[in-house]
Amino acid sequence: MDLVTLAIAATPSFLASAVEFVEATTIVLAVGITRGWRAPLVGTVLATLTLAVIVGTLGVALVTVVPERLLLGIVGTLLLLFGLRWLRKAVLRFAGIVALHDEEEIYRREVAELKAQGLRRNRWDWVGTLVAYKAVLLEGTEVAFIVIAFGAKGIGAMNAAIVGAIAAGIIVIALAAALRSPLTAVPENWMKFGVGAMLSSFGIFWFGEGVGAHWPGDAASIPLILGSLLLASLIAVRMLGGLLPQGARVEARNV
Amino acid sequence: MSSVLRAVWDNTYGLLVDDGQLAIGAIVALAITWVIAHSGSDALGENAGWVLLALVLALVLANLYRAGRNARRRAG
Repeated sequence: MDLVTLAIAATPSFLASAVEFVEATTIVLAVGITRGWRAPLVGTVLATLTLAVIVGTLGVALVTVVPERLLLGIVGTLLLLFGLRWLRKAVLRFAGIVALHDEEEIYRREVAELKAQGLRRNRWDWVGTLVAYKAVLLEGTEVAFIVIAFGAKGIGAMNAAIVGAIAAGIIVIALAAALRSPLTAVPENWMKFGVGAMLSSFGIFWFGEGVGAHWPGDAASIPLILGSLLLASLIAVRMLGGLLPQGARVEARNV
Repeated sequence: MSSVLRAVWDNTYGLLVDDGQLAIGAIVALAITWVIAHSGSDALGENAGWVLLALVLALVLANLYRAGRNARRRAG
């Protein structure tokens, strides 16, 4: 497998996973700081094992059993649906229609809820374990989905996608451990914008390949598709800004 | 068991669909692309990917325009 194919699998997997790991880390951090570290770490390890089983069984089965053309069609469809969901939300956020994702606010809310639940020192903290397990599993499901989608081209691509996701996890966890606070400096809203466009681009590219379309320069067409989607999204942000009456940006949030 | 299956379905659905009209539009765009690719014309079939890109761009702009109009109505 050539370097371009490996980079295609590893780069989007790294970026998309980093966004998800930041969100999961915020919750685990909130649990650890308010209730102690043993319970949330156990929850995190259990969720990671669950995700490893999902990727190991579903991912490997897809790559080895489903014919390549059909697989490209399925993966292209899923990536397009998944990517457009992210892209739409990102555009609505940048246009002021939906509130921007705020990691600090999520952290404060989570800490308040966890403190309100109380803690018995002589018992195992099931609340801490379950909250961490659920957060890591929910955000991790998206990571697993992305790894499986980008690894669908074969075992080499699967390994590259897994390495990309693990690298993102190590970096995010190391930063959170060093700072002991949510990673608010990570430009999460911008990353979601870019990753949404990137996932949609790969969805279009692979579905096209799956139905036998010819892309000039093969993977070299991906930047062109990505550029078109980003341009349309930026036009949409401006268009939405013009649609809302002056001063209505805050009122229109969370609709 | 049914509640577990329900939760799995809800999570999978939530992973892929945020706005039903956008998801249906995307599936229609993919179906049109598939039909074009299998239309029998080599020239059309080879360019089916660009058709899909054009359909998705139009879909994104139309869907967001509708979302903007809805937001304007609610904002008063």
